[in-house]
Amino acid sequence: MWIWRAKRCSNDGLHEKTKMSELNKLFKERKKNKKSSFIGFVTSGDPNYKSSKEIMKEMTKYCQVIEAGVSFNTSTSDSPIIMEANDRAIKSGMNMSKTFKLINEVKKETKTDTPFVLMTYLNPIIVYGIKKFIRSCQKTGIAGVIIVDASLNSPEEKFIINGLTKKNIGYIKIISPTNSEKFIQSSIKNCKNSWIYITSYYGLTGSKNVNIQNVRKLVKIVRKYSKDIPIGVGFGIKTSKQIKDVSKYADATIVGSAIVNKIKEGTENGKYGRNLATFIGSYLKKLTK
Amino acid sequence: MKIPPFKEINPPDKFGYWTNKKTGEKFGGQYISSLLVPNLKRVEDGFFKAMKDKKFLKELEEDLNTFIGVQTPIHFSKTLTELAGGEKKIGKIYLKRTDLHTNHSHKPISAYACCKLAKYLGFKKILTETGAFQNGRAVASACASLGLKLDIYVGANDAKKLAINKDISALHGARIIEVHDSTKSLLPAMAAALRAFQSEPDSMYVVGSVAGPMPYPLMVRTFASVIGRITKKQFKNLVGKDPSTLFAVCGGGSNFSAIAYPYYKSKKPDLYAVESAGDGIKTGRHGSTIGGGGKMGILLGMQSKVLLNGENVAESFTAASGLDFSSIGPEVAYMHSIGRVKFLTTTDLQAKKTFMMMARKHGLICAIEACYVIFAAIKEIRKRKNPRENHLIHLCGSGEPNVAQMMDFMKKQK
Repeated sequence: MWIWRAKRCSNDGLHEKTKMSELNKLFKERKKNKKSSFIGFVTSGDPNYKSSKEIMKEMTKYCQVIEAGVSFNTSTSDSPIIMEANDRAIKSGMNMSKTFKLINEVKKETKTDTPFVLMTYLNPIIVYGIKKFIRSCQKTGIAGVIIVDASLNSPEEKFIINGLTKKNIGYIKIISPTNSEKFIQSSIKNCKNSWIYITSYYGLTGSKNVNIQNVRKLVKIVRKYSKDIPIGVGFGIKTSKQIKDVSKYADATIVGSAIVNKIKEGTENGKYGRNLATFIGSYLKKLTK
Repeated sequence: MKIPPFKEINPPDKFGYWTNKKTGEKFGGQYISSLLVPNLKRVEDGFFKAMKDKKFLKELEEDLNTFIGVQTPIHFSKTLTELAGGEKKIGKIYLKRTDLHTNHSHKPISAYACCKLAKYLGFKKILTETGAFQNGRAVASACASLGLKLDIYVGANDAKKLAINKDISALHGARIIEVHDSTKSLLPAMAAALRAFQSEPDSMYVVGSVAGPMPYPLMVRTFASVIGRITKKQFKNLVGKDPSTLFAVCGGGSNFSAIAYPYYKSKKPDLYAVESAGDGIKTGRHGSTIGGGGKMGILLGMQSKVLLNGENVAESFTAASGLDFSSIGPEVAYMHSIGRVKFLTTTDLQAKKTFMMMARKHGLICAIEACYVIFAAIKEIRKRKNPRENHLIHLCGSGEPNVAQMMDFMKKQK
């Protein structure tokens, strides 16, 4: 009995040491091949469950990571474009458990290993249950989590980081050009098994154009405190040229509002399901060329 | 009367939480995106600096006395005393006449003080949200007097309603921005104002209630507590002791904390907060966060009790725009959780009937919000049946903005 226990413990220890998180593995491999990653954001369930599933399946062809937003009706940090997407998703009956179900189905049906990252607010997690949320992330194979309103001093963030880290799931923090170096340093510490998310300007997602000066400045500060943490840049990236420009400084570029805007455009032209997914796919193909 | 100086008697911890030590529940905090961190830090540091700056405080006191008119009387209401059963049975009922302020409600105090702080900190523009333009009007008046620009965020459905306060806000020069998100009401308007705050670093956000991320719940109640500080001294001068009971209405909680704050740590008076039960709690159409069984949630930068619809924040329903809020300020929720405040509810119909009674028998056009508290107070005072008691009701506002709504009610009653 004692021998068995000892053996099991040592195996677990070995396992923890050698197992690299899905996101770290991806960024390491891409870096080795001198390739930057493309991260696409959509609100899960936008405009409805079926269409969203088709869109995400299509996205696996072009995105190295898919960032799926969990809709929340009182979001305090999203642009009107994302707020509208939240409204469309909520109207169609989306919630946390359906988000997990949706991602699970996309993963099974596409048979790709594209990592999924969840972007959400604390309230949906609290209502769903923090422990249950962490279990569901593990069960669904979620690679990382971004919680927009989890502040550095909140007890919830500490609890969630501990839970996710034990399951080798990444935790991503967002920093912006106006944050102090002290804040950036603490945010890097709280980023686990993942990347740090730099917003290229001060404001809301998709409301302005990417600001390369800010990106360069922030990358420099981040590198002062961490030599190897992958850096993802988002906010205001809309064209393939902008992607190429940002890629010079970052491990990943994140495009959200531009894709969500395309979904809106598609639905306004009566496109749903596979039809809408193809429309988004052709846009992503051009964007990532 | 000199405004009694502010004393911090119920401080949150350094992270902005009021913690119920028995249950471990935490209220307050600062749940915001990292993009908002520097803005809030500037407001928070500025607020603490201003509270120590004698010149700022002296100027503020003078403006509150002479511009807002905070020295309002306490009125012994024979009508309500008789209605509740007479002096020999229930004691005496008094009304604190906050309706006599400039702009006719409790809102102008914190609105003016916050705008004054913004000016002191060098901000040029104010962002705020509103439901029925009570806060909008108060902030618009303050901004006009202090030479600040103003954007008011209002839910598109609320903006459609004809309201005198909306027109007055526009006359003061405020820019009114309609919000089309989600329920198109106060909650998404507040979220939109917070988002605008994230995009406009040269503007200061002014919250209309004791809600939102720290330092707002602390700052608004500190400024608004001028009402309670004056009332406490005034009541002692008038009656010789503190009141036995204190009743105030509670939507987000600014009205309640404004008058009740100085009594938080004392045994007397018994504190009662009154929420709107809308069409009745059982119908699900209400604005009663505590009475309707709100759960702990995180919204608009704070942790507090919230009415939920699944993982989202539920819509509230009430005839009183000032009570149309699906949550409650964290400090008030904390005071309830430790048992210091008892919560009561009044339905819309009961409040409207009380409005008519106050108009016909008392000669006062009270804000519809105040009618929720008057109805619940009389009911509770009757139950207490103690002739030695003195009861105080916060008459928090004037009913002028409710005139059109109440004319409709009167016609339908006939």
